[in-house]
Amino acid sequence: MLAATLGLSACGNGGANNGEANASNAGGNGASNAPVKLKIMWQGADIRHQAMLKTQEVYTKLNPSVTFSPEYMAWDDYWKKLPTLAASHSLPDVLHMDGAYIQEYATRGTLEDLSDIDLTGVIDDKTLENLKIGGKLYGIPISRNAQGMAFNKEALEAAGIELPKKDWTWDEYFDFARNARAKLPDGVYPISDTDTWDFYQYYQMSYGKGRIIQEDGKKFNLDKDLFMKFYGIHAEFREKKIVPPADMVSAFKENDPQADPMASGKVMTRGATVGSVGALEQLMPGKIDVVNLPVGPEGGGWAQPTIFLSVSTDAKHKDAAKAFIKWFVTDQEAGKTYGTNFGIPIYDEIYAALEPTLQPKEKLGKKLYDTSIDKAMPFSPAAAGWTEWVDNYKKTMDAVMYGQKSIEDAYNEISKSGNAIAEKQAAK
Amino acid sequence: MKAEAMNKPATATKLRLTKKLKGTNDNNLAGYIFISPWLIGFLLLTAWPIIQSFYLSFTEYSLLEAPTWTGTDNYANIFTNDNDFKTSLKVTFIFVLFSVPLKLFFSLMVAMMLNKNVKGMNLYRTAIYFPSLIGGSIAVAALWRNMFNLNGYFNHVLSWFGIQGVGWITNPHTSLGTLILLNTWQFGSTMVIFLAGLKQIPGELYESASVDGASKLRKFFHITLPMLSPVMFFNLVLGIIGSFQMFTSAFIVTQGGPINSTYMYALFLYEKAFKHYQMGYASALAWILLVIVALMTAINFLVSRYWVFYETDGGKQK
Repeated sequence: MLAATLGLSACGNGGANNGEANASNAGGNGASNAPVKLKIMWQGADIRHQAMLKTQEVYTKLNPSVTFSPEYMAWDDYWKKLPTLAASHSLPDVLHMDGAYIQEYATRGTLEDLSDIDLTGVIDDKTLENLKIGGKLYGIPISRNAQGMAFNKEALEAAGIELPKKDWTWDEYFDFARNARAKLPDGVYPISDTDTWDFYQYYQMSYGKGRIIQEDGKKFNLDKDLFMKFYGIHAEFREKKIVPPADMVSAFKENDPQADPMASGKVMTRGATVGSVGALEQLMPGKIDVVNLPVGPEGGGWAQPTIFLSVSTDAKHKDAAKAFIKWFVTDQEAGKTYGTNFGIPIYDEIYAALEPTLQPKEKLGKKLYDTSIDKAMPFSPAAAGWTEWVDNYKKTMDAVMYGQKSIEDAYNEISKSGNAIAEKQAAK
Repeated sequence: MKAEAMNKPATATKLRLTKKLKGTNDNNLAGYIFISPWLIGFLLLTAWPIIQSFYLSFTEYSLLEAPTWTGTDNYANIFTNDNDFKTSLKVTFIFVLFSVPLKLFFSLMVAMMLNKNVKGMNLYRTAIYFPSLIGGSIAVAALWRNMFNLNGYFNHVLSWFGIQGVGWITNPHTSLGTLILLNTWQFGSTMVIFLAGLKQIPGELYESASVDGASKLRKFFHITLPMLSPVMFFNLVLGIIGSFQMFTSAFIVTQGGPINSTYMYALFLYEKAFKHYQMGYASALAWILLVIVALMTAINFLVSRYWVFYETDGGKQK
């Protein structure tokens, strides 16, 4: 019985090999490449998944010896799954990396150096040089990205509220919220509450106080005055119902038709990036518009490549993976297929070819990029080894949001744990 | 002749003995070979990782770099300056304290109902046990997340009666309760064990009690409960162990939040290991959990002699 099964499966394998080999010849590629199955993983909303799957189909059509074993999920799930794969040395060949995480994964030795992929004329050297970590390039940027805000244009106009304007200041942002409160119906909120470190960091940086985690994680810098002021305003907003109650905020899930803060109709604004605003547009077609993040004297938000394709050190087919990535960023056909689902394609020629065919809604990403670029500040992710602090920040601010902790206590706790990690990393 | 006669049986015995001994050896070997698939699996996948995790609990280990020996630092840190440890332990104890008795009570009630002689009982049994087939899975947890969300089905039903529900899983006052309810709802296997236990109780006991004019309540307290106590004990021990290790629903439904109100010990351990890459620290946490569970089980066994009744003991008090 066992022998029979083995025999059968052996036949099955043989059959598959033959089939693929034949297809390869029929494709007229001439390449005598052995069949390769690339494991590939990425995160995003469904609209991006579809585009990515189609792109892989196109690649297989051109290179019949290469097929894909794709795995894709939403942002949260993706970053939950990746550590376990890294731990068990079973990362896929090609994986989607993000500016917020690439340092952590690169410094832990899970990513291949991709400096040898020739991208002359596609991505300028300066951009690539800026993205190197310790002199090595651990991910190929595939798009230009920017952080801004989306707002519900239709509902705001209907309520007679003045729309957010490019380069609005933080004071104008808070005033917008106060004014809109009076005009919006009960249960609808102008802005949402915030409990994550990155949103506060935009505030601190725009007032010239610098990033929170500095010198690769060896220095910690949380400005007390700005921190107290920023969360003080949010506490006032919570009281005046300008931001939603804490249990509603905790239930929000971006890009989920029912639970997305904006798509559910509960909140008028939320953060959006060039690469993700399309997913929101799809949930509420024709209703949204974009603006850059509120600015201070130093600027606001960021605009630079943050979405990468990387090859893992666990990869079984490193060369095939690199070839695919190169094709992905340089090929017109590829660009036409994935469009603006990752942001604005990094290769200008691809975007130039794409632009005339874009529908108005797809131009939203481009608009977001254009409004953000001139005031953009540097993208400032957490350094490696800081994920625990990032989690603690959110938990601590949640306690403030639920009214169980004072802002001052929160500041002290967050500073204490931040300084402890910085000290530990500096000692290494 | 005499000597010869003496000698002969002695040799025979010796021979027979050797043969017998050899035989037993052969049998043992065969036995080991037969259980080897399990044995190899146990040694490689259970025993070895356990030993390794004990070693790791005295190291700092980020998975991707080699572990470095830090002695008892991990344990010292856990006990002296880890607030999350205290929080998660407290949450887990509350969870165990409520969910285990609730689940036992609920599954016993259902089992008694299903033990009645009603036409089509098999159908009811199947229908009631059916959800347990998908019992503790991710899918069920995801379903509960949707049901008890602020915009979930549960609040939708409440709204028919004009009640504005809270976000059951996003409100720190109700989140743990919702998870306890979920755990209680997963009563299937406990209920089946109870049902089997109920079927074991001889009908004569009830008959003679009826003849003596015992009420239903009295029969329950003086026949059903004592006769069922070994099964109850079994379910209690398993329930406590299972509840201490509760992970899936905390991970999927609430992610430990809001503000750590459902931050179960197993979730805390997982985050340390796979999110913050502190394998050594997480191993130490795992060993502490083992000691806690072992202690709880030992206490259970000690206390059991005062309330568990085994028929084989003939009812004598130990």
